[in-house]
Amino acid sequence: MSWKIKYLKKSPWVFHVNVGACNNCDIEIVNCLTPKFDVERLGIKLVGSPRHADALLVTGVGTRQAVPRLKEVYRQASKPCVVFLIGACPCGTGIFSNGYHVEGPVDKLIKEEDPNAIIAYVPGCPPKPEAIISGVVKALEAI
Amino acid sequence: MNREELIKKLEEVKDKVTAVEQTTDLRIYLSCEAQNAPGICRFLYQDCGCRFVICSCIDADDWFEVLYHFSYDQLGFIITVKAFIRDRQNPAIDSITPSVPGAEWIEREMHDVMGIEFRNHPDMRRLILADDWPQGVYPERKEAKK
Repeated sequence: MSWKIKYLKKSPWVFHVNVGACNNCDIEIVNCLTPKFDVERLGIKLVGSPRHADALLVTGVGTRQAVPRLKEVYRQASKPCVVFLIGACPCGTGIFSNGYHVEGPVDKLIKEEDPNAIIAYVPGCPPKPEAIISGVVKALEAI
Repeated sequence: MNREELIKKLEEVKDKVTAVEQTTDLRIYLSCEAQNAPGICRFLYQDCGCRFVICSCIDADDWFEVLYHFSYDQLGFIITVKAFIRDRQNPAIDSITPSVPGAEWIEREMHDVMGIEFRNHPDMRRLILADDWPQGVYPERKEAKK
């Protein structure tokens, strides 16, 4: 295991990217940070810049307007970078699959940018905070 | 105003209205041609004291319908002004934004997705479509959905 992966797993800092979410998954992500779940005790910290982040939490379906921004954010994130797709929309476009504004699913967009990207899926509409934490733990175990 | 007085007051614009349809006790539809719609909306908003709720738009194959929904809140009475735009090639209607300021953004949205031109609108910029969306493509029209 390289030292980069080792430190990523020790304390993953996450950056939150909304690419067209309805805000429900965003609320659940914020809920993870509240005292009840308090993921900061596990070293998971929400940061304000992708350059500081080890992981991206992507919510939303991947709209036409947001796609270039998502790719820009992914390019700026320090590598190795785990991309977590939170919710049904980024995992498979969900109920918006035939919308005129939809370019997703997000895993396809990320792979266009970087074919070797590490992508983890947390489905649900929205996923519970327990599911998000479980997804993060399982993804970090798998790396 | 109680319900009877309100319905009686609506008679003041009956020369602009082509059809009146009352579906329930608290719902009335006033059909009109496009050029009369702003006048009726101004009457409902300023003279009757109705609240502007929302606009909606229907693509009905041969024409467009723009529906202005007003609510008379003391009674929970909903009045819908149904304006028919017969010209499908260049659909246009006078904006109600100068008299009903709350309609500004919904008219911009209808301009984006249905391609209806609102004359005298103060700020007809693109609202919800992506910046790189092609000009002249209207995603909620029927031909775009086929």
